[in-house]
Amino acid sequence: MGSAFIPIMIDAFSVGGLYALTALGIGLIFSVMRLANFAHAEFVTVPAYALFVLSDHPVVVSISAAVLVAVVLALVTERAAFRPLRGIDPATMLIASFAVSMFIQRLLVFAFDSRIKPVNPLAVLDGSVALFGAQVNLLKLTTVITCLVLLIALTVFLKYTRFGLEMRAAAEDFTMSRLLGVRANRVIATAFVLSALLAAVVAVLFSAQTGFVHPRFGLQIVIIAFVATVIGGLGNLLGAAVGGFLVGVVSTLLQALLPPDLRPFREAFVFLLVILVLLFRPQGLFPARGLKERI
Amino acid sequence: MIRHEADTSARSDRWLTPDGLARLVPLFILVVVVAAVMLAASQLGIVQQRRVTFGFISLITVVGLYVFMGNSGVLNFSFVGFMAIGAYVSALLTMRPQVKATFLRDLPDWLAAAQFDPVVGALAGGFAAALVALVVGLPIMRLSGIGAGIATLSVLIIFYIVLGNWTGVTGGQRSLMGLPTYVTIWNAGLAAIGAIVLAFVYQESRSCLALRASREDEVAARAAGVRVVRERLTAFVLGAFICGMAGVFYGHFLGTLRVENFYLDPTFLYITMLVVGGMRSLTGAVLGVIVISTLTELLRLLEIGVRLPGIDAALKAPAGLGDVVLAAMMLGIILFRPQGITGGREITLRGLR
Amino acid sequence: MTALLEIRNLTVQYGRINALTDVDIDVSEGEIVSIIGPNGAGKTSLLSTIAGVVPAAGGTITFRGEDILRLPLEESVRKGIALVPEGRHVLPGLTVLENLRLGATIRSDTPEVRRDIERFLDAFPILRERRNEPAGRLSGGEQQMLVIARALMSRPRLLMLDEPSLGLGPQIVDKVYDMISDTRDQGVTILVVEQNARRALAVADRTHVLNGGIIRLSGTAETLSGDPDFEAAYFGLRSVADG
Repeated sequence: MGSAFIPIMIDAFSVGGLYALTALGIGLIFSVMRLANFAHAEFVTVPAYALFVLSDHPVVVSISAAVLVAVVLALVTERAAFRPLRGIDPATMLIASFAVSMFIQRLLVFAFDSRIKPVNPLAVLDGSVALFGAQVNLLKLTTVITCLVLLIALTVFLKYTRFGLEMRAAAEDFTMSRLLGVRANRVIATAFVLSALLAAVVAVLFSAQTGFVHPRFGLQIVIIAFVATVIGGLGNLLGAAVGGFLVGVVSTLLQALLPPDLRPFREAFVFLLVILVLLFRPQGLFPARGLKERI
Repeated sequence: MIRHEADTSARSDRWLTPDGLARLVPLFILVVVVAAVMLAASQLGIVQQRRVTFGFISLITVVGLYVFMGNSGVLNFSFVGFMAIGAYVSALLTMRPQVKATFLRDLPDWLAAAQFDPVVGALAGGFAAALVALVVGLPIMRLSGIGAGIATLSVLIIFYIVLGNWTGVTGGQRSLMGLPTYVTIWNAGLAAIGAIVLAFVYQESRSCLALRASREDEVAARAAGVRVVRERLTAFVLGAFICGMAGVFYGHFLGTLRVENFYLDPTFLYITMLVVGGMRSLTGAVLGVIVISTLTELLRLLEIGVRLPGIDAALKAPAGLGDVVLAAMMLGIILFRPQGITGGREITLRGLR
Repeated sequence: MTALLEIRNLTVQYGRINALTDVDIDVSEGEIVSIIGPNGAGKTSLLSTIAGVVPAAGGTITFRGEDILRLPLEESVRKGIALVPEGRHVLPGLTVLENLRLGATIRSDTPEVRRDIERFLDAFPILRERRNEPAGRLSGGEQQMLVIARALMSRPRLLMLDEPSLGLGPQIVDKVYDMISDTRDQGVTILVVEQNARRALAVADRTHVLNGGIIRLSGTAETLSGDPDFEAAYFGLRSVADG
């Protein structure tokens, strides 16, 4: 029992952790500007391509480049596409982010074609270690630990730094925060940068797990993370993180526990769950305080 | 000004007055345009005819999308899923039993043995889409804004996962081949005209006027007694029916179905068409299809390579450029002209009003 | 006296409706000026326009000799204007301390900021007691104290208050107005907008009556309360504005 249980839990949490980081990336931007950012998919995909392009270079170089690329991409999309739309209704912003996402995705197809490309950014982590008497995949363990560390770091940032305070204030009441001198552009840019950092980490870990990238690489994870943010409560960061873990764990457990006939449909159940949450708890399981417009 | 909101007492029996006839002008113009395209294209070669036929099928889809999203102002990412339902239902009803036996093992016996008339299959496809829309829409029509966007996206994903994995019935990830290909430029063109008429008649109805009022101000409309959920559901079901029919034509045009054809790429394409034309008018829906289809066609030709007259060199764009340009155009429209080319107005004899 | 804030011909429109029409107001250093008027008179529009929340259709706003009409709203506080908006607007999920700290967003003199926070916590023991609780859990009166203190954390030259007595019991209103007077005594100029005419007249050096987006009457508490037109200006004459 014990030897089977630990790997399954590490599995579940490594998947859940990636969803949680992605959901947080989406949640950070949503909470300050009510943008449900579809293009977060490309914030994940593009750095993964950077890993592919620089796969002959040392790991440190390729990962740093991936992070840098993600941050630049996030800042450029914010400036070029989302800033002009600030204050427009959230539905139009959602369509706009869909368009941004498709635009970048198609640029990638244009530049690299749509076939899958091999990547292996964390080859050093192949193999497994013994943990409480069970053999645990080193990469998955690293994923879980990285996710936890980042969650703690983000919490500390939001809770104890001046930037973090300003971001939380902006998330609660954007106009009031600006009246107090919080600079809108800076807060939003900070949210995009943080979101991109999380996306880059997801890109590294997720591509190490799958071993390849393709133009829809980020989309698969972002669509599920969207679900997680909705379940956790749009605009609530804690909710997004918990929602991410929850979706990952539930989906991994469904994979393990469902009868084989139904396994391919497991994600359908997850999306059904979203619709149910939207209907019966439209503010999510952990409603955000001070969220102005209802969904 | 948006014309429909000027007179709120739209009644079909007033259409025979001079004012009523004037109200029919947009419908008349749109039908004439589509009919003219159909007649002109029928004189062209088979390849061009097929392109135009495909454009008509897009037109049916976008009109179906417009019926709900344009009139209600509520996001809908699920409409391509209703296309899929129409396409698969019609396929299963009209394919030859021998073909079904080779691909689809889990069909119930009666279905495996049956082969219905194409018309029966097509109508069944449309009504099946409408029925599913009724069931799905009943709960989710309560949602607006981002909630509606994410819920309808979830619906699309659920359809995609189910269709892609229900291998014994849909063929799953493999292509479903052997649909009878009865679609011609004539029946597709007539179906497109039919969709336009249906959408126009609906948009002049009381039900739709109430829905449009809720689009402008949901709270005020509710206060004025508009049953928003019911009116939305009406539009959603009608839109799904039209999209379902579009799916039927799509399937019997290509003769092959793949679940990928009913997922995010076409969703984006059709939404682009509607947004570019102008989401809030039927003219916008039609114009968006014409503009984007033409542009796609030109870009496709450019990717193949065009020989310029008088110059001894071929102009050739790299593959994939077309998709990039389309997405860029969509972005540009949202940023600089969010109401689309028509600005939400219908066409009349004096231009857009 | 030098004019700290000078408003000339200010016009504000929402669509085609004028919220304010040709409004002239001067506020001198060290004064308390109040604007009274019924609901919908344009009072909130006036403060919102000065703070930069709402754009003006015409006119000028000068603060300390500098044109501030087109300043983005996060800059007006840097010029020395603090607004306490109607309905208090504490940041409900943030703690009392965090709300106060946020009031000092524009300041970088951390030790001084700490001292100021201590000063406010001394002045309002209830805030000290609940300093680590979310501000949303405070009572209405406590929230009002908090938002005024928070606005003062930016060390403004001009404090603008929008309906500070709204929805508060009479004793709390007394406290709020004591706080306003104390603030003036410390050298902060005050522009207060009120529906509660009695309070606003009593505290202010000068008062303007705003109705239908137009200044109907101006004066001190004595001259206004003796003015036969006062009630008409406050309650009526809407037709003039609508025309």
